[in-house]
Parts: sequence; structure tokens; C-alpha cells
Amino acid sequence: MSSLSLFQRIVIRCGLTSCRSMEKQPVKIMVTGAAGQIGYALVPMIARGVMLGSDQPVILHLLDIPPAAEALNGVKMELIDAAFPLLKGVVATTNVEEACGGVNIAIMVGGFPRQEGMERKDVMSKNVSIYKAQASALEQYAAADCKVLVVANPANTNALILKEFAPSIPAKNITCLTRLDHNRALGRIAQRLNIHVSDVKNVIIWGNHSSTQYPDANHAAVITQAGENSVKELVADDKWLHDEFISFVQQRGAAIIKARKLSSALSAASAACDHIHDWVLGTPKGTWTSMGVCSDGSYGVSPGLIYSFPVTCNKGDWSIVQGLRIDEPSRARMDATAKELIEEKTLAYSCLD
Amino acid sequence: MAKDPVRVLVTGAAGQIGYALVPMIARGVMLGPDQPVILHMLDIPPAAEALNGVRMELVDAAFPLLKGVVATTDAVEACTGVNIAVMVGGFPRKEGMERKDVMSKNVSIYKSQASALEAYAAPNCKVLVVANPANTNALILKEFAPSIPAKNITCLTRLDHNRALGQISERLNVQVSDVKNAIIWGNHSSTQYPDVSHATVKTPSGEKPVRQLVSDDDWLKGEFITTVQQRGAAIIKARKLSSALSAASSACDHIRDWVLGTPEGTWVSMGVYSDGSYNVPAGLIYSFPVTCNAGEWTIVQGLSIDEFSRKKLDATAEELSEEKALAYSCLS
Repeated sequence: MSSLSLFQRIVIRCGLTSCRSMEKQPVKIMVTGAAGQIGYALVPMIARGVMLGSDQPVILHLLDIPPAAEALNGVKMELIDAAFPLLKGVVATTNVEEACGGVNIAIMVGGFPRQEGMERKDVMSKNVSIYKAQASALEQYAAADCKVLVVANPANTNALILKEFAPSIPAKNITCLTRLDHNRALGRIAQRLNIHVSDVKNVIIWGNHSSTQYPDANHAAVITQAGENSVKELVADDKWLHDEFISFVQQRGAAIIKARKLSSALSAASAACDHIHDWVLGTPKGTWTSMGVCSDGSYGVSPGLIYSFPVTCNKGDWSIVQGLRIDEPSRARMDATAKELIEEKTLAYSCLD
Repeated sequence: MAKDPVRVLVTGAAGQIGYALVPMIARGVMLGPDQPVILHMLDIPPAAEALNGVRMELVDAAFPLLKGVVATTDAVEACTGVNIAVMVGGFPRKEGMERKDVMSKNVSIYKSQASALEAYAAPNCKVLVVANPANTNALILKEFAPSIPAKNITCLTRLDHNRALGQISERLNVQVSDVKNAIIWGNHSSTQYPDVSHATVKTPSGEKPVRQLVSDDDWLKGEFITTVQQRGAAIIKARKLSSALSAASSACDHIRDWVLGTPEGTWVSMGVYSDGSYNVPAGLIYSFPVTCNAGEWTIVQGLSIDEFSRKKLDATAEELSEEKALAYSCLS
């Protein structure tokens, strides 16, 4: 069952007989750190079809550490209690091999959470060893062509570690979440222009899911009945776009922690669903999204870093949007966040010794 | 052309259940993937900053269906123009607490929220009470909002109903979506009566009675019932917190089926204003099997009630009458 690629499993139809009423084969989705806040927000979204569509059955594999075993079982119990029509099975385990067995999609939420006042680098060392271990398990036990999304911070560097220690997983299958920042950027533009968020598109989050990320509205557009207009022109305030807008999006995570006394969970979980949904089912025509992906050197970004780029998705693969004009202030910001990623990489490797 | 947005109020929105519920509403789980919504979120002043955090996250999630968010500690602002009210706000049950323990704290809450809803909600507002003691909170709300039609005030037993389906599916090793027509009678408490004597399972050879497939009446009359009755406590024991995910999901199911209708041949369980059906005292909020059509629920009539079931139906009704008396004594 798990020898089919994810994409094949989603499009497969039984060809010989009329099968309109036949359900698709379930897709196995792993969530690590599933007993935590983000996991608790995420699993009902997955079970309702937000991630892969309302006609795609799913089997959830939930992983957490032994101290969380009872809480994890509580999550499993609640998933059963909810009687989700699309949820065809739940595996709740503290055993990473069992968790990874045959999974088509892996959402790596497990890690050491950021507390109020902590910068992401503070949590790096705790997470590097986690991601090295999980890399091995995924490589050995996940289904072929498993798609991986790293959420736990430092997301880009955790994904990099995972990639380095799971060399048989194609690098293009290992991504990290910047869709949350992307969605936050859309929301801020919508608020500024007093329009609905679904009428804003094509912002870009460049670089690291950290305070050096570069939210770029230079190529963003507003959809109106008369066509598409440039956000830059409609906002008509380049200073705001270069300063306030950028720091708003960069600092939003901290603002949520200040208000809730907890990290974003609801919005992070929702963005994770959006990331996978668009990756697997494709981006709408004329629209791109932001994903942390393995750099191929595009836009002068060091190859091999996990760096957030504008991407379109089609047939289960992402492609970096090429040919966007990069002005000088953008260049500087893109370089600064790349520099931080290189520093994180060095720091991460030093933790491994 | 897009539909006009529906305004949905969630009270206690800064709490656990609210946090699970609002993204479900914003994704269309409650009213369908083509129904835009405006969320009204209410909580108490100590939770104002956390509530604003929830509002911020809703904005950050860029939900296509979410056309607005009102986050407030003012009941009037919260209730204004709402078409659906999901009353999650109340004093939460902690490990070891029975529902009666939290009653007095909640009765005064529901009396004042009744006035606000009656005065400011849209006509024909549909109300779902989740906060425990759910049935009695709903009864208080009904008594103090006399201009809201009694049929519009309901309480959540869909969680118990879904739990019952889940337990049957686990026992029979079938998909939960193939099990239907369980009934939760009575109070959303440990006296509820989970009844699968009319439940069926979809099999390759047609629908079969659960009772026949399980073939273990002792289990159905014993362990099955107590497992469902005490499931809430079991979740608290495992999570150290009340059910939120499953409660929120069931609240969505309750409203969705109420508004959009139950599937043909299927009923669900809702706590509704008793009209005396099945010899249940009239005037209680009591969970019955119902079908829903065109935005209205109707109690399923004519189901045979054996002696065993009769006793259970009566016991939970008795508890509800006691709760009603207790609630009224809290008001004096």
C-alpha cells in the first residue's frame, strides 16, 4: 500500500469498474510533538480534510516523547470521540519507527518550544539532536517520496539537519514552514487596505522563519473586479512597506506570545495545512506561495540552505518563481537573512560535535 | 456570487474549547465550505488580552471564509446581530469535580447572557449551550430569554453521540462513518443513557443492527454505557484538561446538521426542549434522537423503549428535574 507515491495515491482511480462511490486510498500523515499545542490544533484540521481535501481519507500517526504518552493517548481518544468520517485510523506512539512507518507526509512539530523572551537560537541546541535522530527514522521507515514539513523552530535549520542526516530522502521533499509568515503578511496588507485577505496575493517571505525574514510586498497584488492592481501602488507608502510592515510580520510571533502567553498554535497549524495543501494539490493559477525549500542558488542564495522562496506548485512538486526583479533594499535583506542561516548552520554543526 | 456572511457568536472564546472551535468555524466545518462567516468572540475581562491573541491568530491564518472578527468583553457588542450562538463560556470542570459542583457558578452567567441574547441577537438566532451543566444552563437561558423560541435553544450531546459511535466502531472494528443512529437520552452528565438498540452498521450486505453484530447485550447494557458516560472524565485523566478538540468538533456537527439537515435515514442526538415525547417531562432540556430539515429539528417518534431503557430514561430525567430545582434555588 505504501509503495505508491503520495501523488499516485491521490489521483489513482480504479479503472475497470464504475467507482464513483469508491473512496480514495487513505494517506498516512505523521505529526510529531502531537501531544502539544500545535499538534492539538493540527490533528482535527487534518481529520476534517483541510490539508488534503474533503474527499481524501487519512490515517494519522502521532508521535511524542514518553513523558507525554498519557496526554498523547488522550488526543487519540478525542480523535476517536469526534467520529471524523475521513479519519480511517490513528496510531499514537512514543516509538519513532512505528510513527514513521509508511507515512506519506511528515509534519515535524516536535521540538523544544520557544518561551516569552527566548530567541530561536536559544532553542537550537536542544533541537539539533532531535532532528538528527528523526532523520534516520524517516529515511528508513517512511514511504517513498514522503513529503516533509518542519514546523518546530529553528525551522529552517532543523530542516537542514534533517536533510543532511536523511540523504536518501530527496532534498526537494524537505521543507520548512514560512506559510505562517506569508499568511500574516497577507493579513496585514488586507488590514492596511481595508479589503478581504483573500483578495491579496503574491507576497513573498524570503529567508529564515525568524526575525530576519524578509516579508516582501513588491510583487504583491490585489484582486479586484476590474483586474489586479499592485499592492505597492495601492498602499502608496513605500516607507511603511519597507519598515513598519516588515517589522510587524517579523515580530508577530512574539506579539502572539505576549497576548496569549503561549506560542501561536491555531494559525501555525492552519498554515501547515495550507503549505501541504498547496504543495500536493497545486497553487492556484497566477498565485504563488512561500515555502522554506532547499536552495538551488536562485536569486544568489547559497545552494543547500533551507531558505524561503516564492514557489508555485504543480503535480506534487514546487518550483521557485524565477525572474522577479530584486531592488537594492531587498537584496540587502535577502542577504542578511541568508547570512543568519549560514550562522545557524555553523552553530548547529558545532552542537553536533 | 458569494453568500451573505452568517454571524456566529462564541462565548468563552479565549478558552480551550473556543481555541479549537474558532478555526473549525472559520474553515467552514460548521456551515459548509461556501458559507462566509463573521465571528463574534466574547470572554471576561481577565481574558481580554488572551482573547485579542485569538483574534490576532484568526487574522494571521488568512481564512478565505472569515469575513470579520469581533473580539470583545462586552456582551451587548458580542450578541449584536448574531445568527448562531455557541455558549462555551462558563466555569470549567476540573479533575474530580461533578457537573453539579459547577452549577451555581454558571446559573448567574446564563441568566445575564439570556437577556443580552434576547435583546441583541438576530431574529431566529440558533443557540447551542456547551458549557456544563449544559442542559440546565440551556434551561436557565430559555427561562430568562422568553422571546427566543424555545425550539431555538439546545444543548450539546452530540459529543456523547459521537463517542457512542466511536465505541461501537472500535468494538466492531469498522469505520465510524459506517455506524449510525445511536441515541443519547437525557442529561449531558453521568446519568446520560447511550442507547444503541436502534443503531445500525453499514456492511457490504446492507445495514445491520449494532445489537446483532455486537452480540453481547451484557456489554451493551454495561461497559458500553459506562464508558460513554464517563468518557469526559477519562479524557481529563489523560490530558489533565477537559475535552476541547472533540467538543468543538461535535459543536460544529450539531450546528451543521441542525442548519443543513441530517442525511436521509440518519438521526442525531440534541439536547432540546422536551414536549413530553417518550414520557419525558415537558419543559426540560433533554437529549432526544432528532432529524433536522430546513433549519428545524424534529424528535424521532415511535421508537420502541424496553424496560431497561425506560428506567434509564427516567433516571436521567429525574436528575434533570433535580438540577432544575437546584438551579432555581441558586437564583433565590
